[in-house]
Amino acid sequence: MTDENTKADGGVADATHGADHHHDLPDPGHVKRWLVTTNHKDIGVLYTITALFFLVFGGVLALLMRLQLWTPGVSLLEPLQYNQAVSAHGLLMIFWFLSPFAFGFANYVVPLQIGAKDLAFPRLNALSYWLYLFSGILMGVSFFQGGTFSGGWTMYAPLNLPVYTPNIGASTAVLALTMFTASVTVGSVNFLTTMHRMRAEGLTLRRMPLFTWTILLTTWMMLFAFAALLAALMILSADRLLGTTYFSATGHAGSLLWAHLFWFFGHPEVYIVFFPALGVMAECFQTFTGRRLVGRKWFIAAMVLVALQSFLVWMHHMFLTSINLQIKTLFMATTIGISLPFDLMVFALIYTTVKGKVRFTTPFLFSFGALMLFILGGITGVFLGAVVLDYEFRGTYWVVAHFHYVMVGGVTALVGGLYYWYPKMTGKMYDEFLGKVHFALYFVGFNLLYFPMFVAWETPRRDFVYPEVFVGWHQVATVGGFVLGASFLVMFYNLFVSLWRGEEADDNPWQYSTTTEWAIPSPPPLENFPGKPTFRDGSLKFLPGAGSRTGGTGGSVADGGEFTVEEATDGGASVSQAADTHAADEPESHASIWPFAIGVASFVLLFGLSGLQNASFPSGIEGGFYAALTVGGLVGGLAALVAMATEEFHALTGPFGESWPFEGVENTKLGVWIFLASDVVLFGAFVGSYAFIRVAEGWTNWHHLIPEAHVPLPGLINTYILLTSSFTVVLALVAAEKGSRWGLVGSLATTFVLGMAFLVNKALEWLHLFHVHTEAFPQGWNIGTNIASSTFYLTTGLHGLHVIAGLIVTLYLLVRAWNGAYLDDDRPVEYFGLYWHFVDIVWLFLFPLFYIL
Amino acid sequence: MKLGAGDYAHVVLQQGGIVPKGTRVEVFRQIFTVFLALGTLVGVVVVGYMVYNAYKYRDGDGRGDDPDAPRLGELPTGGGGGRKLFLSFGLSTIIVVSLIAWTYGTLLYVEENPPGEEGETTNIEVVGFRFGWEFVYPNGHSASTLRVPENETIRLSVTSDDVFHTFGVPDLRVKTDAIPGQTTDTWLRADETGTYEARCFELCGAGHSYMTAEVVVMEPDEYEAWYANTSGPNGNSNSSSAGDAPDGSSALGAPTGAPSVPAAASSLEVVA
Repeated sequence: MTDENTKADGGVADATHGADHHHDLPDPGHVKRWLVTTNHKDIGVLYTITALFFLVFGGVLALLMRLQLWTPGVSLLEPLQYNQAVSAHGLLMIFWFLSPFAFGFANYVVPLQIGAKDLAFPRLNALSYWLYLFSGILMGVSFFQGGTFSGGWTMYAPLNLPVYTPNIGASTAVLALTMFTASVTVGSVNFLTTMHRMRAEGLTLRRMPLFTWTILLTTWMMLFAFAALLAALMILSADRLLGTTYFSATGHAGSLLWAHLFWFFGHPEVYIVFFPALGVMAECFQTFTGRRLVGRKWFIAAMVLVALQSFLVWMHHMFLTSINLQIKTLFMATTIGISLPFDLMVFALIYTTVKGKVRFTTPFLFSFGALMLFILGGITGVFLGAVVLDYEFRGTYWVVAHFHYVMVGGVTALVGGLYYWYPKMTGKMYDEFLGKVHFALYFVGFNLLYFPMFVAWETPRRDFVYPEVFVGWHQVATVGGFVLGASFLVMFYNLFVSLWRGEEADDNPWQYSTTTEWAIPSPPPLENFPGKPTFRDGSLKFLPGAGSRTGGTGGSVADGGEFTVEEATDGGASVSQAADTHAADEPESHASIWPFAIGVASFVLLFGLSGLQNASFPSGIEGGFYAALTVGGLVGGLAALVAMATEEFHALTGPFGESWPFEGVENTKLGVWIFLASDVVLFGAFVGSYAFIRVAEGWTNWHHLIPEAHVPLPGLINTYILLTSSFTVVLALVAAEKGSRWGLVGSLATTFVLGMAFLVNKALEWLHLFHVHTEAFPQGWNIGTNIASSTFYLTTGLHGLHVIAGLIVTLYLLVRAWNGAYLDDDRPVEYFGLYWHFVDIVWLFLFPLFYIL
Repeated sequence: MKLGAGDYAHVVLQQGGIVPKGTRVEVFRQIFTVFLALGTLVGVVVVGYMVYNAYKYRDGDGRGDDPDAPRLGELPTGGGGGRKLFLSFGLSTIIVVSLIAWTYGTLLYVEENPPGEEGETTNIEVVGFRFGWEFVYPNGHSASTLRVPENETIRLSVTSDDVFHTFGVPDLRVKTDAIPGQTTDTWLRADETGTYEARCFELCGAGHSYMTAEVVVMEPDEYEAWYANTSGPNGNSNSSSAGDAPDGSSALGAPTGAPSVPAAASSLEVVA
């Protein structure tokens, strides 16, 4: 799969960036270029092509389902195969197609729109991509391990446990999704840092183009929503692989816990996939009507409101569970509340056409069509907002039709985006006639496919048995599905052939477009801009000098050297390298193989872990295979991480003009803060899960589940150890500031020793608890003994993993400090300190929760 | 209900006589019809207006260039037309909020005082399992077919023995989740005798599509006679006719509509 993708990329690459510059990137014609590139435009192309591959993957599964539904009952697929198709279709389309498709554009276009030469952390951007690609391949692998996950994309508990979905492939699918979540988190940190820190002068937040606005809000939502999903998936993985008992059936509220965790993520996810489409619509409506968006600031305000409120509506997915009437009322109100800003956005788009010069090009047709489909999706969504109607629509094709109108409506706009930016990305025009043919087939196919689902709404969702009266409607839908699928063949043909035969595209092929990407060549050169972009005078200008490849003081910058281009190293979330003293003379780097290597290693590691059940590998060759993969992936991953950390890599630092509200926070520091913000949600979800289950069990009954041997003392000792280690990290920073090499080494070494003491103490405590022999716990108190032991080991274990990660970084810092690093630049020590203090603070919450209360 | 607004809605909406009441079938039909009519109207108007505008202002009808047209590289600003925008927004808000407020009265009614509550109500326990339903009557009688008297409000307490299911009888417009370890309550009332189908609405495994049960609505007298003949948990159970149960671990031989056996016998036990 990798080969196919890179080859396909190679094809595109011929048309992209010229190779006449001296830099560390191989020519686009070479496969190696696409394995090492960290340039945002290359990665945008990689994302786009990979996402389209997963569109085909998910689409084929959908067509299989449509064939099965030609008549009621089993035909093409066996029941479990059908369930796998249903589940994988949902997972692939929502995770591996929709968001990454939008992020192909985000990667390509957002830096151009804000006037940045690249993202803040180019290697992390490549890492996001490789984690994404390999998680998708892992998802593909899961089909060959006895079958993939078959419990629906919502993965309701306890069907998601091995008792009911015993295939190894089901575990693999969960792990693949976990890996995808990691990719999203890395990407969110990167985009947020870039967009907040690296905007061109004059481009304040309020003045950002709408597509960039939608991506900004999308990544903020992603940061928090995917952290909740990560918690849910980690717990599920622990249940499946290690034998914890969070989601197992009866006795406590495991089923509801999953529903809460999942939908807390799941509803923001709807806006996460839809917002970028809204951004494309806004750009296309403005360009192709020749008008500025009506009520632009209200449009933005509405989106901000939706982004915030999206975290307060999740229980409307649970109206039929045992939640009480007051809560239903509250969530009915927030749900109606969140639908209203969308009315405003829709009207704003419609009024933008008034008095315009509307040109029905392919991108506009798709955007216009998307708005129509979204209006239908929105109206049918109001039906679901009425709780009494929702009661009846739950689990039927009304829901299926509604969310396909909304989500695939979003896809429609993104396809428009593909046509809109295709000339920019490739330097060639697509064939306009074939584009219109695509739209005609697409729009007809779409409505033939999804509209009958409203008519036949009494078909139960995810069933292949349905009332005979609906056979005709389902057959129409199946025909529509094939028309929709065929329309994409037209698109693939058009876009592929146009790479060679298309007309050369101008810098700006669209009249009335305004954003920065249209002011530079198609495709843009590696360094993007002919000079330093600025909006200081109210419109875009390129200042000479500073934009060229070698940085330096832009001689003609009027207000002095304040905004000159600086380069420094790009660090991981907490591992950062000292800025080279002569960094300002170095060109920024564009190549690193290590993100790819980390992607491969993560794939191998998770593939290996998928073989686990109840914390042990199966016996025999199969088990040895999985165990070897696990060890290999772990070792390889660590090696690749260290290699990436020690590699010399020069990234942009900013600021370039506008960095509100983070003018004073350096890129890596902001990245660490943003990452920690998502980590807060991760731990919050773990602690919330613990509290939820404990309340369901009875807060005080809980003590019966815990052996007498579980005493506060080891935890108390560990509290003191960690607090002391926080203090030694502060000492390390002070020593670095003073230039005391041995003070730095000594403080870091003490931190390391304290951290190890924490882990050893914890290991002794755990071993003791594993081997208690009491009347209540004759077999010891293991991870799977009961729900109290599960929450204890898993939550404090997650914290322990954070400590281990911190110690690896400490060791790395220690070795480099020994060799004299950090004395002239103590920022890496400072940023590590942020992380370490955070880990300590988390423990201050966990200690009372798991040892005292 | 402790909510002030709720109480208010209660009084205004329910005493005003505009709130749909009756069986779930009637309530659903009334609300759905109104939503469908208004939704179609709004959809036609909005989409029609959209298409009309796009056509009316199409390029190439000889209008001159607007001197104020957007230029490449300008800082994004908004176009005018804010008043019209807020007028439309306000209208749509009124439509949506009033529609939902109107149905909220029915929600209170459905949740709090279903019809015929004055008299004694029968409470039947519904237990979902992979892949069938078990119905337990107040006297302990257990069956795989749900028998209820006509024109009487029956309360259902629904739970699950294994995974997350959703119990629903589409024709009677009753539906609620069947969650392991939890009980959800709902009610149903049938106006006509006859046989209906209950089924599962949440994906639960290989037999999900076949997880059905019969619901038989009987004349009240007939029902009384039948109920008097039933006995406790070990008595004659309708489920004695059960065929081979679908087994979750095998690839299911499609037992179309096969009546199913009680939970413990067929489903996989979860190690809790």
